[in-house]
Amino acid sequence: MITELGAFALALALALSIAQSALGLLGGRRPALAGAGEGAALATFLAVAAAFSALIVAFVTSDFSVANVAANSHTAKPLLYKVAGAWGSHEGSMLLWCLILTAYGAAVAVFGKGLPASLKSRVLGVQGLLGVLFLAYTTFASNPLARLIEPPIEGRSLNPLLQDPALAAHPPFLYLGYVGFSVVFSFAVAALIEGRVDAAWARWVRPWTLAAWSLLTVGITLGAFWAYYELGWGGWWFWDPVENASFMPWLIGAALLHSAIVTEKRGALSGWTVFLALAAFTFSMLGAFLVRSGVLTSVHAFAVDPTRGVLLLTIMAIASGAGFALFAWRAPALAPGGVFAPASRESLIVLNNILLTAATATVLLGTLFPLIREAIGGETVSVGPPFFNLTFVPLMALALMILPLGPLTAWKRGDLRRGADQLKVAAIVAVLAGATAYVMVSPRKAMASAGLALGFWLIGGALTEAAVRVKAFRAPWPEVRRRLTGLPRGTWGMTLAHAGLGVFTLGACFETAWKVEAAEALAVGGQLRLGGYELSLDEVGTVDGPNYLAERGVIRVTRSGKAVCTALPERRFFPAGRQSTSEVALCNRGLDQIYIVLGERRAAADGGPAWLVRGYFNPWVQLIFLGPLLMALGGLLSLSDRRLRLAAGNRP
Amino acid sequence: MFAFWIAAAALSAGAAGLMLRGSRAAAARVAGEDPALAVHRRQLAEIDDLAARDLLPADAVRAARAEAARRLLTVAGATATPGSVSDRRRTALAVAAVTPLLAVVLYLASGAPGAPDQPYAQRLADWRKADPATLDPPHIAAVMRAIVVERPTDAEAFKHLALAEMTSGDAMAASAALRRAVALAPERADLWAALGEVFVAEGDGEIGVDARKAFAEALKQDPTSLSARYFLARADIADGKLAEGLAGWRALLASLPAGDSSRAGLAAEIAAVEKAGGLVQAQPAPAQPDAAAIRGMVERLAARLDGAPDDPEGWVRLVKAWSVLGETGKRDAARARARGLYADRPDILRALDEAAQ
Repeated sequence: MITELGAFALALALALSIAQSALGLLGGRRPALAGAGEGAALATFLAVAAAFSALIVAFVTSDFSVANVAANSHTAKPLLYKVAGAWGSHEGSMLLWCLILTAYGAAVAVFGKGLPASLKSRVLGVQGLLGVLFLAYTTFASNPLARLIEPPIEGRSLNPLLQDPALAAHPPFLYLGYVGFSVVFSFAVAALIEGRVDAAWARWVRPWTLAAWSLLTVGITLGAFWAYYELGWGGWWFWDPVENASFMPWLIGAALLHSAIVTEKRGALSGWTVFLALAAFTFSMLGAFLVRSGVLTSVHAFAVDPTRGVLLLTIMAIASGAGFALFAWRAPALAPGGVFAPASRESLIVLNNILLTAATATVLLGTLFPLIREAIGGETVSVGPPFFNLTFVPLMALALMILPLGPLTAWKRGDLRRGADQLKVAAIVAVLAGATAYVMVSPRKAMASAGLALGFWLIGGALTEAAVRVKAFRAPWPEVRRRLTGLPRGTWGMTLAHAGLGVFTLGACFETAWKVEAAEALAVGGQLRLGGYELSLDEVGTVDGPNYLAERGVIRVTRSGKAVCTALPERRFFPAGRQSTSEVALCNRGLDQIYIVLGERRAAADGGPAWLVRGYFNPWVQLIFLGPLLMALGGLLSLSDRRLRLAAGNRP
Repeated sequence: MFAFWIAAAALSAGAAGLMLRGSRAAAARVAGEDPALAVHRRQLAEIDDLAARDLLPADAVRAARAEAARRLLTVAGATATPGSVSDRRRTALAVAAVTPLLAVVLYLASGAPGAPDQPYAQRLADWRKADPATLDPPHIAAVMRAIVVERPTDAEAFKHLALAEMTSGDAMAASAALRRAVALAPERADLWAALGEVFVAEGDGEIGVDARKAFAEALKQDPTSLSARYFLARADIADGKLAEGLAGWRALLASLPAGDSSRAGLAAEIAAVEKAGGLVQAQPAPAQPDAAAIRGMVERLAARLDGAPDDPEGWVRLVKAWSVLGETGKRDAARARARGLYADRPDILRALDEAAQ
């Protein structure tokens, strides 16, 4: 009964979404309807939560009469992955998408007390329309609670690559980010209906943008971390279309965060801010389409089972098409905002926006070009790092170069020279660091050294800006302390996020340029040299996991005879799906990591067994994951700023 | 079914209740001033606050104040005439009433009314209660899997599990079960022999190293083990030691009792081997080098390129080799990596594409 009750709750959620959209859109000037719409938004979320709970129950109890459980679970799977299996498949992940979409709607209904009644009602109406589209798709085209008449004895299990704690948490964070932009989208459409996009609107939108962007940052980082240690190739970003799909809304979200500040502080760029708000969720939907339609495996796979892909594409066309059509119609009537000089913080943010949007365009091109080429009958092409190194990287490098100048330049009419003057120390430190890297680190790499300089420039710039604000070194200590404690959290959030970007840049440049690899087939007792380290394969034993069998290597890592660590990489075999995965062993050495993979067993030259052991020395790799976490933390710190709580409605 | 509709009605009633509650609360709310005013006022207050704490220079304070004040006035002017507000509680009530009905229609179109939950534990309990004669091998295997969890030291239970898994066509699960069984009772020749047989089945009839070890162990525990004697002799024949193998089979035939049903089959097999001078069943043509050896060479090449990737010819050879071995995934991965390395060398890119054909 639980499963069917879940299926009923899903149908009820769809009906409630229809009610919510009608009530919300009609409720702009009719409080009774608007209030009912708020109730509907809350009820929709609770109904989807009930359906989602029913799905989790089906996974935990291994109810193989539910088709999705039979296809993605197994009785021997550990409990965590039974639960995570609920969103490990296409159908389940669409339900998760709906859960988060309706949760954001309910959050607007509950926390939006400080919003004008008509705006709030219309936001909920638009959010309800999005809910109708996605819930209808989930209910009728990918229902995770669909039943089987003849349940199989055992399930087919979840892909073992996905049985990993980071990947269990990755989709919820990613979707919290993706779908968070739906609220921003709804605010934009509602504002276009109302014809009012001003500083107040920008302030109301900002917390939702901050939340979505920060959570998306966490989601992408978890995904990169998973790719790093689970795929066993030693890399963390492959410019793979699936990764690009999540990166594009992130870039647009970053642009939106900045342009919304201009609209909030100066009332300017309102049209552009609305445009980005519409674009951010459009890219989220594009990501969902790319990942979920099967079009990425091959455009032909998409042609074999076109229903889902075509439906997702239709949903995207309806939602974004309507949003942008409304924009084209109403944007010219938006009131122009405050004027600003070419040398001002506004201008620098505009430049930042142009660069971020252009960078997004290159990622979009690199992602879609192979699909378009294949679709029009050309050969299969893959667009890889060389393309992005030539297009995306220079654009972003330019954006990072001007970044520290922005916060040090005044609004309206600034003095770039003064800002540059204040950044002198940061610039000297950056150039020295880059030069040192170029001279000291072998082999010599000019571009990577320049990248390191850029990273130090960002961190130095963020610290300089904070120092200028608190008058460090220029005012007596009591005043500095007063300023330190008096600065709003939003400011610290910005400092943290910009410094985090610098930290990431350092890690990414250092690791990419100077990682060391070595691989060899080793018999027990064999040794492999990895940079300054020696890896010795001491023994290989077998391990019985909960749902896998594994060979575990014991690899002693030494450096000039001194023990460094003992690594235990595994090669796991999952009988349920007949799949093997490698479990990477990581040895932390400060910011660096030694990364060891145990390959398949094979015959050595003397006929005895040997294992392909691959080792990577990844310098500063920890910074690659630490940087984005600092950025996300910065976003969340800004979100906790009391000035934004007004927007959330806690203080009327 | 009855309970289901009661629960569904309760869910619907809760949802309708939330809508009506929201409607009543909103209708009762007095239309206040535009919240945008509060935002702008707040912005002004913030500027004052920053100025008071000396965080904003004086000229910036003046400019910012003037601008924020202008925005405040604009909003105040625009919201002086509120729109007409009408009470539509009856409409809200109608929507709250219709929504559950719509939900029922949508559920009947998308759900499976009356389909019961079938948690695994409950299905397993049903199978255990059933007469084993009515269950097919996969169901028996499922029951046995549960039994060995309860009796983890019962070698006999693992043997039955292996039998059920084997008849269900899952040789891998069968060998796993038998490995547990021989670990529990290493003195039982029948378990070792069964393990050897499962290995033979896994290897599509080939008697590999693991199988030979298992049969040898069976023979050690019980020198009369029929199965072990049969397969070890067969392994000799496969290795080309025809005389020894045939001698083993003949001795086995001689030791079988007169009425044994397997005598005829074995005698026929001996005759066929004598006639053909080797095993009759189609073995892979021996002239080909061993597939495993080829694979080993290719993997060594892959490992070498992994460590020292600057070898265009090596990459082309690797792509070609994976292509011949039918490893499309590895082929594409190697090709993609090489394409990345030699993106500026069209000749190598062409050679890679040709090698992948």
